[in-house]
Amino acid sequence: MKRSYVIKRILYAVFIFFIVLTLNFFIPRIGVSDPAERYYPPQGAMSEIEYDIIKQFTRAQYGFDVSTFQQYIRYLKDLAHFDLGTSLQAGSPKVTALIGERLPWTLVLSVTTLIISLSIGLLFGTLAAWKRGRWQDTALLNASTISVALPAFFIALMLSFYLGFELELFPAYTNPNMVGQFDWSWKAIQVVFNNAALPIMSMALGGIVGYSQTTRNSVIAVTNEDFVITARAKGLSHTTVLYKHVLRNALLPLSTSIGMSISGLIGGAIIIEQVFNWQGMGTLFLQANSTKDYPLMMGIMLFLSAFAILANLVTELFYVILDPRVSVGDKR
Amino acid sequence: MSKQNVLLQVARRGGSFLSLVRKLWQHPKGRVGLILVSLLVLTAILAPVLAPYDPYDVTQRAEKGLRPSLAHPLGTTITTGQDIFSMLIYGTRVSLMIGIITGIILAFLGALMGVMAGYIGGFVDNLIMRTVDVLLVIPTLPLIIVLTGLLGRSYFVIVLVFVLFGWTGLARVIRSLVLVLKNSNYVKAAELAGASRWYIMTKHILPGTSHLIIMNTTLTCAGIMVAEAGLSFLGLGDPTAISWGKMLAEAQGGGALLFGAWWWILAPGAGIFLAVFSFMRIGIVMEEIFNPRMKASSSIYKLFKHLNNDYLDEVFDSMDDEGTTVPPEPSRPAVLESDHD
Repeated sequence: MKRSYVIKRILYAVFIFFIVLTLNFFIPRIGVSDPAERYYPPQGAMSEIEYDIIKQFTRAQYGFDVSTFQQYIRYLKDLAHFDLGTSLQAGSPKVTALIGERLPWTLVLSVTTLIISLSIGLLFGTLAAWKRGRWQDTALLNASTISVALPAFFIALMLSFYLGFELELFPAYTNPNMVGQFDWSWKAIQVVFNNAALPIMSMALGGIVGYSQTTRNSVIAVTNEDFVITARAKGLSHTTVLYKHVLRNALLPLSTSIGMSISGLIGGAIIIEQVFNWQGMGTLFLQANSTKDYPLMMGIMLFLSAFAILANLVTELFYVILDPRVSVGDKR
Repeated sequence: MSKQNVLLQVARRGGSFLSLVRKLWQHPKGRVGLILVSLLVLTAILAPVLAPYDPYDVTQRAEKGLRPSLAHPLGTTITTGQDIFSMLIYGTRVSLMIGIITGIILAFLGALMGVMAGYIGGFVDNLIMRTVDVLLVIPTLPLIIVLTGLLGRSYFVIVLVFVLFGWTGLARVIRSLVLVLKNSNYVKAAELAGASRWYIMTKHILPGTSHLIIMNTTLTCAGIMVAEAGLSFLGLGDPTAISWGKMLAEAQGGGALLFGAWWWILAPGAGIFLAVFSFMRIGIVMEEIFNPRMKASSSIYKLFKHLNNDYLDEVFDSMDDEGTTVPPEPSRPAVLESDHD
């Protein structure tokens, strides 16, 4: 029963991935009859014949010389070898190489943000749930309202203004040489975290409030369950009930949401990276967008989608293992 | 015929809509939200009358970089000397237009998809829910960026893209509710009486979900306004219009941070905050009115997760617990089945 469920979920994830990659293949082909024209628009004084020759070269270079179906087959074949195609940047770098270069820098931001917002959020959320209805709880509620209505990039701008330019506590703008000069020395790591401080803060602020709210609701839901009432009735102390009975069960749904939040954070970091000129996947994506580098853009998209699908799958399987109360099969 | 019936349904609920506004007005927090939203709408409509200067006038060399004063209540930009107060007023138009138009279209689309998936079931349900699954894993913001690049930079495209990818949340909420409603006695009675599927969907199922749709729409409007500001900030909005997100981008690009022009950053930020906050207020109060036992805070968490769409299971968990929206006799479990025809 359980094994068949696991196989079913894996097959379903593969199916979703297949649809996503098909979409990924066709989206850049929306509304163009000849992609060569998009990649190489007519420039300067160029006669029809000359442009035709250039277009033919472009088609051959980027693989548009065969029918769309054959291109699709080739795309699938390349993907099977983990080849996401070639970027249009100077030097024709591989998309996978570019992503591999930038991914660690985005992960620095998103993983640190996740750790900070999760740990502080757990603390605040538990506190708010324990002091339900008192000022701590109200404060959290107000903080949530405010933080949702303030976009993260506005918070980023304000932090950059006050902590960066006004007080000069942290660099308001990432040092562009940081990536090239990184050599795993203690000093280089310090430089990275000094530069990452403001981006992380602006993303973590919303994350802290979000996780606090989730923790609070989850803890309150568990507190109302019978086994907690039983534990109380047995005369156990408040702290024992909190740690041994409530938190253990309340953290379950939270722990499974981590995978999804990482994929969300990587995708959502685009604007924050742009504000601080952080050389991660987000800025790579925006650069690709400004140069109409579709192979690179779609490669990043596919990578993020695959990450989300994988995270989803792991979450689903993990949940069944962690929570025996979830009955296999009646999900969805 | 199909569209007419839906519209008819909305029209018929006009009376209850007025009573909803009255209830909102009687709620102290709701009243604040209503007043703020009406002020924003008035500002958007009367923008040319209210704005003291022409916000598009970029030729005021003598006026540039002024701090807030009586002549310029929010100062001027340090690059082109545009009056920020006037820009702020004009920016209301973009935010409200995009937010409200997208919200309303999404309400229709999401409700239609949800009701179809939940009531018809079978193949239709499968198709819709698999589409939802696909849309959930594709990263939204990068996709929107790609599509605006392909389809052009205009507000029409932005609304279109928001609509194409934003309906999944509401559809899932409505579907779960419909699965419950479907097994209620009055729907069974209508089926036995030989009513057509479409009749049941529009006359019996849809009215039962209307409160959820209205509440969700106000929260969606708020979420869309934040998203629109982000897109405009990245320079993906209409390049000719003035919007709050674009103002912030211009402020950053124009060196407002470097030269300490705090008024240039604070003003658009306050605009976004005010608009989103007032719509959220109304949404949260509506939730309290419809479902008094549900804690107000949970809807904030939902909005927080809005663009990620994974808050919905939680909504439904809490709703099932409360049982207020569930008809009194759920005699059998709500499972997928197509027992019609």
